[in-house]
Amino acid sequence: MREAEEWADKLEVPSFHDKAKTILKESEVKDRARTILDLSTLYGLRLFEMAGLSNVGVGGEQQRVEMYEHVIRAVEGMAFLGHVQSFDYKYFRKAVAQDKVQRRRPIYLDEFSDVRRHARSPVKVPITGPYTLVDWSFNEYYLRKQTGNNLRLRKEGARREFLLDIVEKVLRPEIRDLIDAGATWIQIDEPAVTTHPEPVEMGMFVEAWNETVKGFSCKFSIHTCYPSEIGYERLAEYAPKLDKCSQLALEFANRDSTKLGTEDDDRGGYESLRGFVENGFDGEFGLGVVHVHDFAGEVSTGAGRVQGRDIIETPELVRDRLVYASRVVGDPAKIWANPDCGLRTRSWDVALAKLQSVVKGAELAREVLD
Amino acid sequence: MCPSAQLAGLHPRSEELIELTRAYDRGHADKARTQKLVETETQQIIDLQKRLGFEYLVDGALYWQDPLRPLTKSLKGVSSGSRYSRWFDTNTFYLKPVIKGKVSLGEFQPHDFVRSDLSPGPAKWKIALPGPYTFSELSENKSGLSKEQLILSIANAEQKLIQTLAGSGISLVQLSEPCLVYRPYRKEVASSKEIQTALDAIRIVAEHSSVKLAVQTSFGDASAILSQLVNLPLDAIGFDLYSTDYEKLRLKSPKPIVLGIVDSRESHIEDPSWIAHTATLVSKHVEAPDLVFSPNSDLKYLPRTVADAKVEALSSATRIYKETD
Repeated sequence: MREAEEWADKLEVPSFHDKAKTILKESEVKDRARTILDLSTLYGLRLFEMAGLSNVGVGGEQQRVEMYEHVIRAVEGMAFLGHVQSFDYKYFRKAVAQDKVQRRRPIYLDEFSDVRRHARSPVKVPITGPYTLVDWSFNEYYLRKQTGNNLRLRKEGARREFLLDIVEKVLRPEIRDLIDAGATWIQIDEPAVTTHPEPVEMGMFVEAWNETVKGFSCKFSIHTCYPSEIGYERLAEYAPKLDKCSQLALEFANRDSTKLGTEDDDRGGYESLRGFVENGFDGEFGLGVVHVHDFAGEVSTGAGRVQGRDIIETPELVRDRLVYASRVVGDPAKIWANPDCGLRTRSWDVALAKLQSVVKGAELAREVLD
Repeated sequence: MCPSAQLAGLHPRSEELIELTRAYDRGHADKARTQKLVETETQQIIDLQKRLGFEYLVDGALYWQDPLRPLTKSLKGVSSGSRYSRWFDTNTFYLKPVIKGKVSLGEFQPHDFVRSDLSPGPAKWKIALPGPYTFSELSENKSGLSKEQLILSIANAEQKLIQTLAGSGISLVQLSEPCLVYRPYRKEVASSKEIQTALDAIRIVAEHSSVKLAVQTSFGDASAILSQLVNLPLDAIGFDLYSTDYEKLRLKSPKPIVLGIVDSRESHIEDPSWIAHTATLVSKHVEAPDLVFSPNSDLKYLPRTVADAKVEALSSATRIYKETD
């Protein structure tokens, strides 16, 4: 409670004590949870506004337990089986398709309604993409329908059917509702796509994307991160085939050096950006310019400081990353400064410091590029 | 033919252990309590295999954070690095080893690799190590060593490691070599010279080995490499049936074949009759003195209860196969 109060002061969240009393007075757990989620969203939005972001997203997805589980909870035909390891002592809860899937209830609408009420800046709504939802799930129902001795082909066939059902029965109804409610920019998060560079998988991903956005009038962008070593290279080949995809938001800082400079040798992490341009993707890039996970390396003078398990990048390092990327892409107007991915594993102090560096670094880059 | 069942690699942690390790990671649980539960669950995994009559026992490697880390820590010239990389096409990650200099075997404790001490008494223990080629492929080479030098130096170090582990009750070592058949992280296919180096490295590990040695491929289509693997001085060769179209195989193997016949990436429990029937179909395309039924990779991609049920299914399938053979 003390931390919530401190952040209310910092973020100028009004009437904190009244809000806290309201929450404590709620007798229904469901109502109490709803009020807390609304308040959390307000905090998230104010944090992003304080950092100076020009687009505040949905305030850091405060209402979502996790990008996969949040969706699956709202899907008929899916059941959670248990947790599996992601890495070390990090895990995620994995579900299985036991029946034909369909949306049980709206997934992001309550959150979007809260965001619309509180946000003072433009809003981008991130949603989890169909390919990732399928890739991170078990697939019993659709596998049962497959026949033939070739087990690989059976899995491929089941995967495609599951994917197209997720698009048609779950995500398109959700997107329709979001647009009707006023969403103008939807970011489709697809971290799984760069882990399957095989042509058959990339083909499935493109098919699912194009079916997802078909007929909607809205800005669409994609976010992906932590690819296999050729993941971006392969995505670059397929990105021009993504209908209505106006921005690629990609993780780069994680793979980049932590020294200042705008030459190729300084900015090796951003080298793969070139492939997207060469393959003809002519949209915007959401450029990951700050790291979002634990950091254990060394940092050159002026590029940042290590604080426990975190690196706090300086605005100058962010600037150099943006300047380099702008030169590769050839048009600074196409570059947006982003964190590599969500900052959910960082503390709020660290998240704020990083986002302030992003904003300040973008200002410095504009001075160089103007 | 008298098939047996075997496990290999990392078994999943239970929900209870997951909860405890999460708490430990956040500083809310102490190390001793966490280690105790790891040991208790390791014993459960061993007991499960004993009850089902498995000839070779694995300890489940619950204390391994990823398939590479124990080997990384046992090698001089290699560090764990700080960068997490995706493990093939799964939603799991490993710490990418960094090769910093000449690679050789360093100091290690046998219980870094197997907790046979938790189940005293006579037993044949099996461990799964990353093969030299896969380890080199998944590492970041900052040593100045050529790729060939690196692969061969890892092989020499692993050969010495295995000889030392032989004195600790290890009877069978599986070299896991997914990179021989699946390289989604590389643009180019491996050259024939590179593949030959990979096979030479396996030979280095296998020759003069005092324990049995198997090579297991997973995640990819093994059809092109199997005929070369059978000519190596190995005791068994394995492949992933969910990635390899067995109907196109025409293989004569003088060694047992390990069939990755239970899918570690899907949750449905394979019907033992289906496993036995499928193995019969495979045996029409693969001549081998014996078959071993196995998961197609680590079972860690499944929740624990599902993984345990699959182990039971493997065991039941061997009985059905023997009865109908």
